[in-house]
Amino acid sequence: MANENPKLAAMQAARLAGKKAIRSYARKLADPEDIKDLNITPMMDMMTIILVFLLKSFTSSATLVNMDQNLSLPPSQTRLAAKQAVPVTITKRVLLVEGEAVAPITNGRIDPQLKRDGDNGYYITPLVEMLSKVARREKKVAEVTGQKFDGELTIIADRNTPYRLLTEILYSCGQAEYANFRLLVLKSRE
Amino acid sequence: MTTRQVRGRMRRMRERFEEAEEEHIEINLVPYMDIVTNIIIFLLASVVNQVPLGTVNVSSPTFGGAGGDGQPDKPALNLTVTVGGTGFTLAGSGGVMPPIPKLPTGDYDYGALTAKLAEIKKEFSEETKATFNADAVTSYEIVVKTLDAMRTYKDEKDQQEKQLFPDIVFAAGIL
Repeated sequence: MANENPKLAAMQAARLAGKKAIRSYARKLADPEDIKDLNITPMMDMMTIILVFLLKSFTSSATLVNMDQNLSLPPSQTRLAAKQAVPVTITKRVLLVEGEAVAPITNGRIDPQLKRDGDNGYYITPLVEMLSKVARREKKVAEVTGQKFDGELTIIADRNTPYRLLTEILYSCGQAEYANFRLLVLKSRE
Repeated sequence: MTTRQVRGRMRRMRERFEEAEEEHIEINLVPYMDIVTNIIIFLLASVVNQVPLGTVNVSSPTFGGAGGDGQPDKPALNLTVTVGGTGFTLAGSGGVMPPIPKLPTGDYDYGALTAKLAEIKKEFSEETKATFNADAVTSYEIVVKTLDAMRTYKDEKDQQEKQLFPDIVFAAGIL
């Protein structure tokens, strides 16, 4: 008995120590001291909202103009904000409608062969044809949406464009039923 | 409990814990976050660098019958501002006004044009229309500046911006 009691006591002590070690290990597993993964879901929500907001404000800008050495807008003190309309761009080298090249410009003049009445004419044939197509499309859209076709154009012209060329282009626009123009300018408070 | 038994229990416990962890797999959002962050930075940079754009409204000439406004006694102004090689010329129904010459620096005298138009506006306060015409070689920048000078002026009395002739029509034909 005297030999058994110390053995029993030792076994009990070993069992208790074993259980203690297992409990301690279980606690360690259940409650890790260092954070393994940061919860980034709220941050993702926030970022997605910012992204949607920025995309919306970026795309709702009425007109996006890529200014370079061939297209430099003149400054103006106007307070009217740019509005969405069919853009006609006059650079130093080319005339564009909705970003599509219509006629080349050389030294501030359109090639006389592209004008119905020759060198002194105002009627730029490819411009009228192109704008007539656009006008037909706009009218269909206006009809479907129940709005009125307002015949408005945004003129994006280089600051050195001569008035003669501008007049020829505005006259041709008028021939395609566009009579109201919004001259796009850089806002300044000089 | 022997050391082997304790180690066995711990191994089983760890296995169960890892199995439970594997059941709660989350999608790795880090690549998506990278993309979104890059797009946001790009968009922010684009928005900040955007140039403030505005518009100046003008019209082509239109033709219609006279009268119909119930004021047949009031003469029409028919104001026309012409940009020539030497300066501005103002004309109306009453005749042609003395030209406004260029400044000694060679620039057009936009201030004098606005002052003259303000004088006319005092006489014809209801009138908002004016016709614009220019030399064939006049640059678009001068056209826009002249339109600015024709649209508004600053009243010296109350220091407020007031309308001059905001409904500008481009003349049919050029000089």
